[in-house]
Amino acid sequence: MVTTDVAVKFTLNGIPMERDVPPNWTLLRFLRDGLGFTGTKCGCEIGECGACTVIFNGEAVNACLVLAPQIDGASIWTIEGVASSGRKLHPIQQAFVECDAVHCGFCSPGMVMSTVALLLHNRIPSNAVLKESLAGNLCRCTGYLQIIEAVRKAAESMDDMHLEKFRR
Amino acid sequence: MISVLEYLRPEKLDDALHIMGGGEHTPAAGGTDLVLQLRDGRPRKILDLERLGLDFIRNAGDIIEIGSLVTHAAIASNPLIAKSLPVLSRASSLVGSLQIRNRGTVGGNIVNASPCADTVPALLLYDAELVLKSSGGTRTVPLSQFVLGPYRTSLGPGEILHSIICRKAEVSTGWSYIKLGRRQAVNISRMTLATSIFMNGDGKIGSVRISAGSVFPTPSRIPRIERMLVGRTPSQELYRQAANIAADMMIKESGHRWSTPYKKPVLINLLTRALTEAQSKLIAGMVS
Repeated sequence: MVTTDVAVKFTLNGIPMERDVPPNWTLLRFLRDGLGFTGTKCGCEIGECGACTVIFNGEAVNACLVLAPQIDGASIWTIEGVASSGRKLHPIQQAFVECDAVHCGFCSPGMVMSTVALLLHNRIPSNAVLKESLAGNLCRCTGYLQIIEAVRKAAESMDDMHLEKFRR
Repeated sequence: MISVLEYLRPEKLDDALHIMGGGEHTPAAGGTDLVLQLRDGRPRKILDLERLGLDFIRNAGDIIEIGSLVTHAAIASNPLIAKSLPVLSRASSLVGSLQIRNRGTVGGNIVNASPCADTVPALLLYDAELVLKSSGGTRTVPLSQFVLGPYRTSLGPGEILHSIICRKAEVSTGWSYIKLGRRQAVNISRMTLATSIFMNGDGKIGSVRISAGSVFPTPSRIPRIERMLVGRTPSQELYRQAANIAADMMIKESGHRWSTPYKKPVLINLLTRALTEAQSKLIAGMVS
């Protein structure tokens, strides 16, 4: 089977990149196997679990359902880009830690990315909107209450400037 | 393992139609169904429709034209659609999860032709017509004639779905949209019902529209019941009577299946509820 790689230009976590990607790769595979960004988790690979949630042009999407060539021209944020420096957590991540919203941790990157996308669009989400925004992210450690508490805490305590970079 | 031999993303509609005319390419929209089909499927050449400017929502008098590449999220958040096509607005807001709605498109939902496609029963209420384009020209086909069976459509070789034309709901129309499933999010519908109802000044039903997904072999309106209800005084008994007829029609058209003992009473109850809900919206003045 002969396939031709596709040249793509995109921005990952604020850094402009140019790569050739195989047309039969998903964005998820490209992030993990092509770039070594393994923070984005591979769960169900059918768009049901949300473990691979990334921000794609300002919106939460399942990286397992995006073909790698489709990222041309896009701005993508993954969990690796959430904290501003290597050592200090982003306020959303800090809220997850403080609320014990992390159990096994497998869903956490996706949960955090869905939270970023939610707060980008809605700084003071109602409980209904909050739950709907996380409905595409499964947690099998039954930590939903703590996760919702963490999102609420982040929404209330965080300064707007912590969301600015994700808009680019 | 995904099998994609080639990926093209033309920027001009004419170029896309020319490539489609070669008969080798599968058109791609949001990919939320297609990427699943590419896994372990036969190798395909992909033509991405994303850059063809098909993500428009156009307001034109009595109709709204929706480009096939408009996402469910964009439809669900559009104020014009909320006002003039409220059942579509609701249906789109219930598709999958936010992540799916941000990628999945209304055109993809139609062309994939799943019997449980969430937006199709809603679009049928608004007499949706599909604008299909190929290098040979343009044709328009009613949505009700487009879906031929589960995952089968009358999309011709080299054709793409360009846009969907919907007739706006009459002012002061009550409506309902019920999606039945095992859970609320990321939910494959077990049954969907969409209704709209308009009452005459004398308190009788002036017009009513009913469509159903996962009831008949394809999502469809139920004109026999619509005709039966017009001119009648609404009541629970009337709605239940209509729903019973719908259940008999389901068994006649879809056959006695393993799910029939479940689906028959569920259809009767849900359709009664759907009509009651549409009517109560009207009475409560919750219509635009």
